Amino acid sequence: MVRLRKPGQEMEPLTETQKRTIREAIRGKYAQVAASGTGCCFQYQTGKAAMELQKYPPDLLQKIPADILNSFCGVGNPFSLGPVHPGDAVLDIGCGTGVDTLVAALLVGPAGRVVGVDLTQEMVATAEANLERLPLPQVSFQVAEAETLPFPDGDFDVVLSNGVFNLTLDKEKALREAYRVLKPGGRLLIADQVLIADLPQELAGKVESWFQ
Amino acid sequence: MLKAGCHRAALKSYTGFKSSPYTEGALFYGEKPEDERVREDIESQVEHLEAPKAVECAPGDT
Repeated sequence: MVRLRKPGQEMEPLTETQKRTIREAIRGKYAQVAASGTGCCFQYQTGKAAMELQKYPPDLLQKIPADILNSFCGVGNPFSLGPVHPGDAVLDIGCGTGVDTLVAALLVGPAGRVVGVDLTQEMVATAEANLERLPLPQVSFQVAEAETLPFPDGDFDVVLSNGVFNLTLDKEKALREAYRVLKPGGRLLIADQVLIADLPQELAGKVESWFQ
Repeated sequence: MLKAGCHRAALKSYTGFKSSPYTEGALFYGEKPEDERVREDIESQVEHLEAPKAVECAPGDT
């Protein structure tokens, strides 16, 4: 979880065992979400209704099949943060089933390039199956971790992510990677979750608290 | 984001998404400077936004 901190205030680092437990739990959870084909497994609003709530452009949503939109599990609309231009190269970190990746592809058009990466093989397989149904050759998906992006420096005009950095185990490293692959002048558009109050003790130590 | 090197880094707004009474969706923006020398004064580039108040409801409510 992303916690808003006062300057100089540091969180306790996770142990290697805790990291391994969380990473395995995340993979398991999102494999389950991918298999469901919908945003079945969260306590917040998901799917097309959530995208409408977050004011995704209706004209773009109309171009993506409803069942694909219904797999949307984001926590906000990163596209509301700034423009994505025709011809831009865009990286979607933690793309899930690829809904935001497809939205980005519609914005950059055929002259652009959009890559979606996800930690979970099952999510990438679902995203690729979704992509086969749309004429968007500028899109590709691959398995990759946010902390070790398989791209050269300065490769993208825009890096976006939606509800992912709160799940990364080394947030600073993941953000440094996002920054590294941006071109000079590139934009980082992030929708995510932050803690706005201290978790009760009974929730603070539970892996399940990482993804509700 | 500032430590990563971004400038004009900001928590721009809250999205209203709540997966628990303790969390809130938020939108963050940052840029990679054209010239990295512009990052001379990090604090002056930070926009401060007041966090929404935690709501009283049972875990699991949306």
